[in-house]
Amino acid sequence: MIPGFVQTLINFVQYAFFYMIFSLPLTLSYRTTKVINFVHANFITYGAYIAIFLNGIVGNTSMVFASLSAFLIVGSIAVLNNLLVFAPLQKRGSSPAMVMISSMGLWIAYKYILYMLTDIVHFYTYKNFVSYGRITYSDIPSLSIGEVNLSQAFVAGMFTVVVIVLILYLILEKTRMGRAIRAIADNAMLAEVSGIPRSLLINLTWFICGGIVAIGGVVWTSFSGAVTPEVGDSMILQVFTTGFIGGLVSLLRTGAGALLIAFMENIGIALLNAYLGIPVSFRPFLTFVTLITTLILFPPLGAGGGLPYRFLKRRSEKCSDST
Amino acid sequence: MTLMAASLEKPASSKKIPLNIKLIALILIPLVVGLAIGYGVAVVMMGGAAPAPKEKTVYNIGLTIPLSGELSSIGKIWEKVVSLAIEDLNNEVAACGLNVEFRLVILDDATSDETALQNVQSLHQQGIKVIVGPAASSQVKVVKTYADDNKIVIISPSSTAPTLAIPGDFIFRTVGSDAGQAKALSTLAYQEGARKLVIFFRNDEYGNAFADFLKQYFEEKGVSVSKLSYQTGLADYASEVATLASRVQSEGADGVILIAFDKDGANILSHAAESDILSNIRWFISEGPHGAGELLIAAVGRFASKVRLYGTRPLYIANPLYEDLAKRVREKFGIELGVFCEHLYDAIKLAGWAIIRAGKYDGEAIRNALVEVAKTYYGPSGWTMFDSAGDKAQQDYGVWAIVSTAEGYKFKDVGLFERGSIVFTEQAYP
Repeated sequence: MIPGFVQTLINFVQYAFFYMIFSLPLTLSYRTTKVINFVHANFITYGAYIAIFLNGIVGNTSMVFASLSAFLIVGSIAVLNNLLVFAPLQKRGSSPAMVMISSMGLWIAYKYILYMLTDIVHFYTYKNFVSYGRITYSDIPSLSIGEVNLSQAFVAGMFTVVVIVLILYLILEKTRMGRAIRAIADNAMLAEVSGIPRSLLINLTWFICGGIVAIGGVVWTSFSGAVTPEVGDSMILQVFTTGFIGGLVSLLRTGAGALLIAFMENIGIALLNAYLGIPVSFRPFLTFVTLITTLILFPPLGAGGGLPYRFLKRRSEKCSDST
Repeated sequence: MTLMAASLEKPASSKKIPLNIKLIALILIPLVVGLAIGYGVAVVMMGGAAPAPKEKTVYNIGLTIPLSGELSSIGKIWEKVVSLAIEDLNNEVAACGLNVEFRLVILDDATSDETALQNVQSLHQQGIKVIVGPAASSQVKVVKTYADDNKIVIISPSSTAPTLAIPGDFIFRTVGSDAGQAKALSTLAYQEGARKLVIFFRNDEYGNAFADFLKQYFEEKGVSVSKLSYQTGLADYASEVATLASRVQSEGADGVILIAFDKDGANILSHAAESDILSNIRWFISEGPHGAGELLIAAVGRFASKVRLYGTRPLYIANPLYEDLAKRVREKFGIELGVFCEHLYDAIKLAGWAIIRAGKYDGEAIRNALVEVAKTYYGPSGWTMFDSAGDKAQQDYGVWAIVSTAEGYKFKDVGLFERGSIVFTEQAYP
């Protein structure tokens, strides 16, 4: 065992929590709305900054309150994005690529709106919000199991993942609303024809997805030592990678993708560094090697179906023809 | 018929000319009289004929600084400092009776190499020949060729990579290269008793060059060192810190030297504070994270005290001009000066006076003038004379720490590097 392995193991689980919180809603929102949404990065950042503003301006140290506020505010932003940008574009028959490009425009706009907000708040409070230190919350405990210390962020991340997975499972599998959302995801036109209120449920999906990601942003403020208005941007590639492993379709495979990427970024790089001397600065490289390898070996069924998948499909068709 | 023919032959306009002349005369005469009366009244009122005021000559100075990205924490402080610097510069030239005004054109480079180059190009397209910034050495390296080719004077207040100390180019740095700081930092760690160190550094121009110089100086002192680099621009560095802990444990190191910027530095220290292995060795740090508010949280403050964290930074300690600038920034903006603020302030002043001395807005003339102006300019960063490579010739280094005060944790300069050894001016930790 490599020295300091316990901390590496804790980091692996911690990152897996974050990737699940951030990428499960990405998959759910894409599956239902068919929008590749770059504003997802802003959802993370805005969630974190709602906690930061609450902490820096009014001294809030309750993660529950910050999470609730972030869920409501960012969920509403997600709905507004759909009402004002995505839905009108889709109604006019814009291609998915055009909608994706519009989300990129929103992504940049939201980033600079936040920079402006941090400047305005700085003007009144003389506090630096453009880069904010870790927040210690008063309502989340940290745990000690033997000699292993589990931080607030670990406890909060674990709790959030369990609650989110449970709620998503209950909503999607056990309620009429969830079944309706799944019906829209499978065939939106057919669902609408059969009387399902499509636009209402799409807005609801945006609200839930935006809100969940924002809670992840709040938890991030108890983990990271420095949060900036670009925190979501610097994570978005990993989050998309995790989603792509699930083909942006399967929630289960997205969860597996989160575990895989977190494993490679923590345990994988630690082992490679310890035994092969590969520099730790190769960590981001490892993420994308994992993505490419996974896509080639296990081509997804959904959005990411590339050449290998078609090749496999053609081969299976040939096999069935010959039989 | 003859009469009719005669009347037809007469030009039609000949009948109207007298009418037009009358009309024009009717308009012009009152106008001329009115103007004459108006001028007369104006002269009487003003006490004599006044010459038209000469328009001010306006010179633009470009600025590409990190208002977002990895250096944004310090970049936001710089934004305030530059507004003060340009105000002071304009007041000084006015006091000298010069009818000149300097204006800043500020662009955010997001601590990105590519954006810094785009900024320099777009400032150049606006006709700007003097640019203060960019901040990071990797950015300066990227803009260097374009600046040299187009004769644009670049004055970086914070690029310190020794690899950019190149004579004869258009790059100037109002701060000394890290070859000097590496000497100060290695002396600090050695003097504090560290004998087996891990250098944990940014994998970029700044980090790599600094780490190489540190390794060289440590080996001259007989200190065992190993290097561990990390990728920049990540959202978090928990995984890298875990690998660092693993390296420290496996090698039995008694100290870490961290070469970082502000955001990554704060992130790394906050994760190191949670590690038992990393909390029980000594930590030394470069100038990069100095001034970043994220380092002043309780967890990092307690960690700094526990590991007796010391850093070095370019600083002419006890300079009254620096103290005056710090006081004015505190009073006007309610913030404390961070690293390189004084070098940035001086860079803007030097740029302005070099333009005046050059007598024309031309890159080559300004470059030559800048060298001469810097020889006699003394500012908050001290004496600014450049060496043959365009870097600050005389650079002093201070020692900083994070100390506990009644108002919370604060940065404090607690010592200086003098004649090859560290002299502590006060005790930082109990």
